[in-house]
Amino acid sequence: MASLLKANLRQADRQTAVVTLVLATCLASAAFAETKAETRKEYRFTVGRNAIISVDTQFGAISVKPGSADEVVVVATLKSNNVEVDQEQTGNRVEIASHLLEGADQQAGRVDYELLIPPDATLNLHSSSGPLLAEHLQGDLTLEGADAVVNIRNVQNCHVHVRTMGGPITLTDVANGHIEVASISGDVRMKSVTGTLVQVVSGRGKIFYDGDFGSGGDYRFTTHTGDIEAIVPADVSADFRAHSVIGRVRHDFPLQPQHSRFPVEAGRSFLGTSGKASSKVVLRSFSGKIRLKQR
Amino acid sequence: MTDPKQRITEAEAIEQAKQGDEAAFELLYQLHKRRVYSLCLRMVSNPAQAEDLAQEAFLQLFRKIGTFRGESAFSTWLHRMTVNVVLMQLRKKGLPVVSLEETLESEDETPRKEFGTRDVRLTGSIDRLQLQRAIDKLPPGYRTVFVLHDVEGFEHNEIAELVGCSIGNSKSQLHKARLKLRDYLKFMRAEKAKTG
Amino acid sequence: MTCSEVERVLPEFLDRAPDDSFPDAVHQAEFETHVKSCLACADLVADLKLISSAARQMVESEEPAPRVWVRIAAELRAEGIIRDPVPTPARPALVPTAPRRRWSAVWLAPVAAALLAAGAYVVSHKPAAQVVTQQVSPVQVSPVQVAPVQVAPLQEATPGGAASPVTGANVVTPAPETAHAQRSEARNSSVRPNQTKPANPEVAAAHAVAPSPSVEDQQFLSVVSTLAPSVRATYESQLQAVNADIRETQAYVNRNPRDADARQHLMDAYQEKALLYQIAMDRIQ
Repeated sequence: MASLLKANLRQADRQTAVVTLVLATCLASAAFAETKAETRKEYRFTVGRNAIISVDTQFGAISVKPGSADEVVVVATLKSNNVEVDQEQTGNRVEIASHLLEGADQQAGRVDYELLIPPDATLNLHSSSGPLLAEHLQGDLTLEGADAVVNIRNVQNCHVHVRTMGGPITLTDVANGHIEVASISGDVRMKSVTGTLVQVVSGRGKIFYDGDFGSGGDYRFTTHTGDIEAIVPADVSADFRAHSVIGRVRHDFPLQPQHSRFPVEAGRSFLGTSGKASSKVVLRSFSGKIRLKQR
Repeated sequence: MTDPKQRITEAEAIEQAKQGDEAAFELLYQLHKRRVYSLCLRMVSNPAQAEDLAQEAFLQLFRKIGTFRGESAFSTWLHRMTVNVVLMQLRKKGLPVVSLEETLESEDETPRKEFGTRDVRLTGSIDRLQLQRAIDKLPPGYRTVFVLHDVEGFEHNEIAELVGCSIGNSKSQLHKARLKLRDYLKFMRAEKAKTG
Repeated sequence: MTCSEVERVLPEFLDRAPDDSFPDAVHQAEFETHVKSCLACADLVADLKLISSAARQMVESEEPAPRVWVRIAAELRAEGIIRDPVPTPARPALVPTAPRRRWSAVWLAPVAAALLAAGAYVVSHKPAAQVVTQQVSPVQVSPVQVAPVQVAPLQEATPGGAASPVTGANVVTPAPETAHAQRSEARNSSVRPNQTKPANPEVAAAHAVAPSPSVEDQQFLSVVSTLAPSVRATYESQLQAVNADIRETQAYVNRNPRDADARQHLMDAYQEKALLYQIAMDRIQ
């Protein structure tokens, strides 16, 4: 009798242990799922002409492409349940923002956005980590990121404003734009970028330009310590002025000298014209090297 | 707080520079800048280029300062590094570092006097600027060996190792350089005497 | 020995090393005999010796332009070979300090504007030596007490006036900065090998001001740490970079006050810093 009782008790202990274990596992899994579930959400907004769209996320990528003329489609991928998406529409203005909840870090607080917007919409993007991508658009663009990689492709006839702290910036096929780019230490690369004003400032980053300085525009590239390099075709038409306070400056093809009231110190500055001088190009650096090359 | 009147030695500055101390780097620069820059200027005869070369020499040195253990004098280390930087630059530009002639008895365009006739001696002291101008006129190969030997004090075996030639070649280049300088200086003095 | 033989062996005689076996005593005697009797060869030997000795005087005769050091220092800093020392801990406060409060980033906006204004002031006025000592806290230069006036209301424990030093770091007065600069200048002068002034006193002074972050920068980083700690390291490294650019350019402008382009670069450097503050404002409010 006693031994039977003991055996029953041992079996009960085992069963209790198993149930406890199963329960604990279920709870743990639920908790884990609670925090780690990746969620995809879609929002649609009907807008008129010249809509203004803003997306603000601390952590996460934002990619924007053209869609239909009267609708904004936002697909948000939330990496955890520690972050939610706030979205609001007021008339033609759509604002999307990531809202970090308690315990959200860079991983858990990440939301990646993909947008389809009317091509002529004004776009404002903010992301600390990025990357940020905007392409095939015609509305004004403002992109800002701390270390975000910023990429703008195939945009035209618009204002483009980009600011980063250290994130590199690439502009490709930007035509007839009014462009202002500022970075504290990010590199700026431009290929086939033209506009009425193209102003690029990077403190410590490099500026690289491959294009024809067309559109009769005003191009101003300034760095503090970063180098500036421009590669132009043989038929480039521009007035060039380059000066580095303590860095070296050179041009690899002949320029027609210009008269200037400013002193031109060989090796530290040059001043000259190529072609009909349709555009004006000013390259300035405090201690970076400046080089003008021909393709 | 450090006593303002306390000085630190070069060795102490080197140790502080290894810790990334800017003032220590600057001290080392100030101590050696004239020697380095003068050497570069003598060898390339172009102040802007000499500045770049001096800058590069100091940068290369400072990048490696963590490896300096004091086996040789710091100045010797810097000196050799500067020469290497300049020679590398000359080679990059395709300029002859030293000519390939091996012996004295090769064609030489230096106008030589006839043996047995007396020439006017360079008397008194030589004006430094005139000597610098004369050095600037030397062909690059002659200039390199002359500057390294007579100005900087390298021995022929050291020059041979630095520029990659034989000791005999180094000696012959030096001799030719001095002969050319003699002729340039006499010409300059004669010109100056004419104009009064 | 003939003249042509003398000329052939001349390099060996002129530059003979102590351990050279040639020329031996016989050749030495022949050489000397000929030179004594031949005026042309005597002239030649004398001239070559004179040239060689004059050359030795030239070894350190040229001085590079100050910009060479500026470029070297900039490159070393960019490569991290020159490193800013770890800031010393704040001195103990002589008056009771207020309990730590959560800061609002509201003050960043006027600080950013003041930075731009200070930069414009510095650029439009010929810099004098005293600008160097104020360079660490540019807000203190002219539009001046904007920041402290803004900050003071947040320090509830500040007794009365806005400018009273409540925390361990003084808020406004240039005196501590000047004193600091003087101590740093004295420290710098201790590394000079002689008693004469440093060759580039402005550079030394500018660098001497460098080590401690300004009050505004400290507050900025404090706010970032509180409201966005995950990005503090990024902001701090960017702040160090822009401050280094400002110092470097300021030092150059001090030495070259007529260089309009350099002054514009100084303004650009202040704008970089203002950009950093603005980006922070946008992110952490």
